[in-house]
Formats: sequence, structure tokens, C-alpha cells
Amino acid sequence: MSRNAKLKRGVGITALVMIALTFWLGLYVTPPAEVMGNLVRMLYIHPPMAWIAYLAYGITTAASLLYLWKRTRRREWDLIAAASAEAGVFFTGLTILTGSIWGRPAWGVWWTWDALLTSTAVLFLLYLGYLALRQVPMSETKRGVRSAIAALVAFIDVPIVHESVYWWKTLHQTPSVLNPSLNVEVHGSMAWTLLLGFVAFTMAYVWMVWTRYETSKRQAELADLEVERAIRERLSVEEVSL
Amino acid sequence: MTTTGEESAQWKTVEGPGRSRAKLIRALVALGVILAALGFVLFKGATNSLEYFLTVQQANAARAKLGDTSFRMEGVVVPGSVDPTPAGVDFTIRYNHAEDRVTEIGNPPELFQPSIPVVIQGHFQGNVFVSSLIEVKHSSNYVAEHPSRIKNAGGTTS
Repeated sequence: MSRNAKLKRGVGITALVMIALTFWLGLYVTPPAEVMGNLVRMLYIHPPMAWIAYLAYGITTAASLLYLWKRTRRREWDLIAAASAEAGVFFTGLTILTGSIWGRPAWGVWWTWDALLTSTAVLFLLYLGYLALRQVPMSETKRGVRSAIAALVAFIDVPIVHESVYWWKTLHQTPSVLNPSLNVEVHGSMAWTLLLGFVAFTMAYVWMVWTRYETSKRQAELADLEVERAIRERLSVEEVSL
Repeated sequence: MTTTGEESAQWKTVEGPGRSRAKLIRALVALGVILAALGFVLFKGATNSLEYFLTVQQANAARAKLGDTSFRMEGVVVPGSVDPTPAGVDFTIRYNHAEDRVTEIGNPPELFQPSIPVVIQGHFQGNVFVSSLIEVKHSSNYVAEHPSRIKNAGGTTS
């Protein structure tokens, strides 16, 4: 096994262990919260998932910019952008799902059209559109450029999602961690468990993107090889015929 | 420069126009569905999110204009005003000294309690706001539950 593969496996196992630890601390060790009671246990997974979505789309945007700039244009940036967007869509979906499960008993509704929830749904659909756009058959460069532009447009919604609770009246609370004063409004062991959740899901994201990127790169290299082999075979057949 | 059928059968094939066309149609259908969903979400957002609720003060000021139209109103549940009824619960909601009496039809959510901020959906009927839905707003502050923490001005814990 190569050093790279060992390192990736290490990241994956660490992520799994840390997620399991987050669940154990969140379910059995941390106390119930005032007002919220045991419903607070969703806190340890819901905000970390939302954070991963922001991080994933940030990486997609950075990689897309690097691809768009001709001096740094490489297939790898396009593949990283796509891999990160896939992880982003996955975690945005989970954010909506866990938020809905938390919202039913806490707010009294599964879903409501407040600004934060609506802009998050828009974010999910924009990046789903980005992934669908990548499936349209076209040359690799054209696909890379078009999807990079789409990624930049979609990213406009990320600050809107985050700031929506300040810009409009919403049912959703303001952030407990990523607020303007960076004042963590979660106390004691609950704060440490939440921090662990952030690190655990970040590790899981790194593993997911790494794995997906490597798979996509191999697929692209394989496709190149297939075309080269087909051309070589055809040329050799034509030479014999001549 | 001629090739036999046997030779061409051995050639590696790359994606042909037929397969590519089917892939294009699939991708365009997916994009169309996503765009339609995006349009629906943006429409719902534009009609609901921009003015998600009025405060009690704003609703009282616009009462004549609101008539019996349905809207959302935000305020805090006044302690001592909660009165369970066979149909649901009656309570008073307050925001910045402005108050309204509310009749809720249906079960309030789990976290509904005195002093908690709520968003209620319904309409005015005379002097009472008839609500069909209570949404509880919780704060961003998470503190561990402590059985001996003082909960009221009298120094008691319950």
C-alpha cells in the first residue's frame, strides 16, 4: 500500500472514530439543555454538517477559480471542484434533513419558508444543478469552464444563507458559533462535544473528497488511455492494410 | 486503404453520437427538473421569507388593514396567561409592551411554555388572534439544565 493510500485510510478511520465519539458524548455524556431538554443532542451534528457544506462550496469555488485562470488551469482543479461540490450537496441534504428532524419537536413544524431555510434549499438546488451540468456531454475544457462559472454563481448564495438570519426575520436562531463576534453561545461539555463534531465531520469531508477525486482522476486517465489505444489500434490496422 | 469487417469488429469503440445524445437528454431533463424546483422554491421564498412575521406591535398598528387575512405574528408568551382549552390553548402574547390575546386551535409544540418567543399563524377575530399554528423560536444560547437553578424572581426553582 502506498504512503498516500495509508494516509487516506488513516484520515478515514480517524473520521469514523471521531464521529462515533461525537455520537457517544452527544447521546450519553452531555447534559440536557435548559428549555430544549434532550432535543439539544441534535446540536452536535446539525451545525457541523452546515459548516461542511460551507467549507465544501468554498473549496469548489477556489478550485474553480484556479481552473478558470489560464495560468493555473489543470484538470485536477476541475476534479477537486466537482468532488467537493458532491460532498457539499451530500452535507447540505443532511443539514436540511437533520434540521427538519430537529425542527418538528422544537419549532412544531418539519419545514417553514423562512429566509434561512429557503436560501438553504436554493443552495442545495444550485449545486445539484452544477452537478447536473457536469453530466452534459461536451469537451473536457468546455465542461470545466462552464461548470467553474456555474460554481462561482452558485457560491453567491453561501453568504446569503449565513447572513439571512440577520437580514430578514426568521424562525431559525442566529448562529451559536459562527456569529459576528465569534462568541460561542454553547456552554461546558456541550461546547467541547460540538467542537469535536466540527473536527470529525471535517475529517470525513477530507476523506470523501480525497477518495472521490482519486476515483475521478483514474476514470479520466482511463478514458484518455482508451482513446489513445483505440487510435493506435486503428492506425496499426490501417498501416497493415496499406 | 480498406479494412475487413473482422478487423473493424476488433477496434476499441469510443462513445458514439447515439449514446452521447441519450446522455444529453438525461442531463437536460435533470437540469429542467432542478430549474423548475428552483423556481418553485424562489417563488415560495419571495412570498413568505421576506416578511416572515409581524411583531405584535406591527400587527396591532396594521390591524385595520390586515382585517381577517392570515399572517404570522411574533411575540413572547406572557407568564401566567397560558390557559389550556379543549380545542388547544389560550394565552397572551407580548412584544415591547404591546399585547394580544391568542386562541390556539390544535396542539402546541413540545417546547411551548411561558416566557418563550413564538411565531403564531392565524388571523384577528375581534379582539382575539385565532391561531392555527404555533412555531416556537428558541435562542442560540445553550446552557445545561440545572435542577437547582433559580427560575423566578421569588428565588424558587420551579
